[in-house]
Amino acid sequence: MKKAAYSFPEEVLEHVFSFIVSDKDRSSISLVCKSWYEIERWCRRKVFVGNCYAVSPPILIKRFPELRSVTLKGKPHFADFNLVPEGWGGFACPWIRAMAGAYPWLEEIRLKRMVVSDESLEIIAKSFRNFKVLVLSSCEGFTTEGLAAIAANCRNLRELDLRESEVEDLSGRWLSDFPDSYTSLESLNISCLGNEVNLLALERLVSRCPNLKTLRLNRAVPLDRLPNLLRGAPQLAELGTGAYTSEMRPDVFSNLAEAFAGCKQLKTLSGFWDVLPSYLPAVYPICSQLISLNLSYATVQSPDLIKLVSLCEKLQKLWVLDYIEDDGLEVLAASCKDLRELRVFPSDPFGLEPNVALTEQGLVSVSEGCPKLQSVLYFCRQMSNAALNTIARNRPNLTRFRLCIIEPRSPDYLTLQPLDDGFGAIVEHCKDLRRLSLSGLLTDRVFEYIGTYGKKLEMLSVAFAGDSDLGLHHVLSGCDNLRKLEIRDCPFGDKALLANAAKLETMRSLWMSSCSVSFGACKVLGQKMPRLNVEVMDESGPPDSRPESSPVEKLYVYRTVAGPRLDMPGFVWTMDDDSALRIS
Amino acid sequence: MEEMVMATLDLITASPHSSSSSSSSPTTDNNNNHPSSSSSSSSSLCLSSISTRRTDLSTDLRLGLSLSPSHYSTPSREQRSSFDWPPVKSTLRCTLVEKSQISLFVKVYMEGIPIGRKLNLLAHHNYHALVKALANMFRTTILCPDSHQLPLISGNNVHVLTYEDQEGDWMMVGDVPWEMFLTSVKKLKITRADRC
Repeated sequence: MKKAAYSFPEEVLEHVFSFIVSDKDRSSISLVCKSWYEIERWCRRKVFVGNCYAVSPPILIKRFPELRSVTLKGKPHFADFNLVPEGWGGFACPWIRAMAGAYPWLEEIRLKRMVVSDESLEIIAKSFRNFKVLVLSSCEGFTTEGLAAIAANCRNLRELDLRESEVEDLSGRWLSDFPDSYTSLESLNISCLGNEVNLLALERLVSRCPNLKTLRLNRAVPLDRLPNLLRGAPQLAELGTGAYTSEMRPDVFSNLAEAFAGCKQLKTLSGFWDVLPSYLPAVYPICSQLISLNLSYATVQSPDLIKLVSLCEKLQKLWVLDYIEDDGLEVLAASCKDLRELRVFPSDPFGLEPNVALTEQGLVSVSEGCPKLQSVLYFCRQMSNAALNTIARNRPNLTRFRLCIIEPRSPDYLTLQPLDDGFGAIVEHCKDLRRLSLSGLLTDRVFEYIGTYGKKLEMLSVAFAGDSDLGLHHVLSGCDNLRKLEIRDCPFGDKALLANAAKLETMRSLWMSSCSVSFGACKVLGQKMPRLNVEVMDESGPPDSRPESSPVEKLYVYRTVAGPRLDMPGFVWTMDDDSALRIS
Repeated sequence: MEEMVMATLDLITASPHSSSSSSSSPTTDNNNNHPSSSSSSSSSLCLSSISTRRTDLSTDLRLGLSLSPSHYSTPSREQRSSFDWPPVKSTLRCTLVEKSQISLFVKVYMEGIPIGRKLNLLAHHNYHALVKALANMFRTTILCPDSHQLPLISGNNVHVLTYEDQEGDWMMVGDVPWEMFLTSVKKLKITRADRC
């Protein structure tokens, strides 16, 4: 009998597959043949669901019966900026219930922009005996009671990270619910909590967990308690301070400085609420070992920031307020040659006049001085095509470029022309650009550039830009790798959307708010494309109470294998085959 | 190239399934972005607190005014809601608003007393709190703007609160929403009730 050289026993294939970790590769493997599909799905341990409504819990569980780690994302990105009304969706409960039944050995749950209830947390706490990692990023809907359940029951918990979630802080007592025998904590992020936690319980927890590497405190932890905490965890690699202010007392200062100096492995710092500048020098001794510094809450002036930053020669990531000013960014460019990521946030986002001397020049300096710079998020009040051109030529290795010129539709301040050419230079020179956010005065031309050159672009954010449907058409027809497109306040309408309907099935999602897409077009799209959920959001009433040609307030379109969702609030309507029946 | 693309678009939209072209009417209401009022987390408390920017306050869409800025021209600063632009996350937004929210001190005079006082309006969250503070400060009874009762005793110990607005007119305190009042008040005066 001829033995096929390539028919390995399943166990061998499974072993080979275990080295393949990336989702994309796993997906490719599963498409090779039926038997590979079967083997792969039984040995898949980790799954990432970028849109929780693209698939349903039963479908996931049926295909992957042995998962250990699940990541789910809920609301669209623009929810971060209050564009998604309360109650929209992204409920974690059905997922958690289903997983509790199907995956008793589940170890990791990571949720982003989802609504999580205390009940869900209780289910997690009681259902997974080997539960290790809980990350709730920008989530909401739960209280400290839910956290108490996790603390009390998850004996093997390694990571509890609540980053940027909205937690109803009923009491700081929950921390004491970690039993005395519990020592496996490696990462704790409670920076979003509003009230004080039980500080003694925190100190005891920190000092009895020898593997604690990440500790991000909340603002309510006073500065004078920090030294004790640090002394209890000298192995810390990442620290988020609480409020960084106290009465100025030499003994508090020296205590703090000594405690920082004792943390030889500390590489990442964040927190720094309410900074009293005279306490900043306490971190100077460890600046030379820092690779990541988040000063987005540090409302201190340029000289203090400059002093700090100039000592961080190994810095790779800096998040800072625009108090740093152009001068500070020049110093950054000169001192931090390893910088990979820079984010500059506005200290006075709603002010009418600039309050700091931060212009496009700061970003230009950094683009000149930091050869490894890949990721930029920059808020400023003026920009020019010339500056963007320079930045693009300096840094063709940029992969993420997000520019927010605070006043919408601001032209090139030197020539008063649109900023089309400047952004055009960015997409043309930065061939690996994956993420782009536009701002300023922009015509359809910039979208032509993006469609032509943005071949690797995966995510595009657009606001107050463009002249006509042509702009949207350029992007949808040109950007081969586009996954997420979010648009607000642009004159894009039906033509481009309908002409590129098929493209939408190749993307994760499309968001359009305050544009010119008509209700009629949404209905057509929904009817034409059964594998898309076309959701219309309108808080002023049912869209069919207005003429078909009326523009919809908000449109969210995403591909799905789960059909229309059943948990929509009253202000969301799905356009599909039955939509005509359902609305009336 | 452009002509070709436009022609293609027209061709596609001429197909039987296409809809009519979109209208150019602006969206009716941008006032959708209310934060959660149920959670007691710090960010929701902050979102309901007041920004000191008077122009933003006067057009604050939280007041329920449905302004419909045409989205073909930049909404003027006065019209644009500061709720969803610029794109700054609420945690940062709160910290910054807090920082800028120092004080709004106005002069307060009581009729018959030449020396005035100064009061930080931002230390109070509504008319009731303001009236209470002033009544304490000046040791008199000040009729609350909400109450409709006329003073039964016409004595000189019953007062009402009035204010001078940005246009120089003297108005009764309490007619407009609190946030709007903060943007227009220049001075306060406690006048005798029987004078009004």
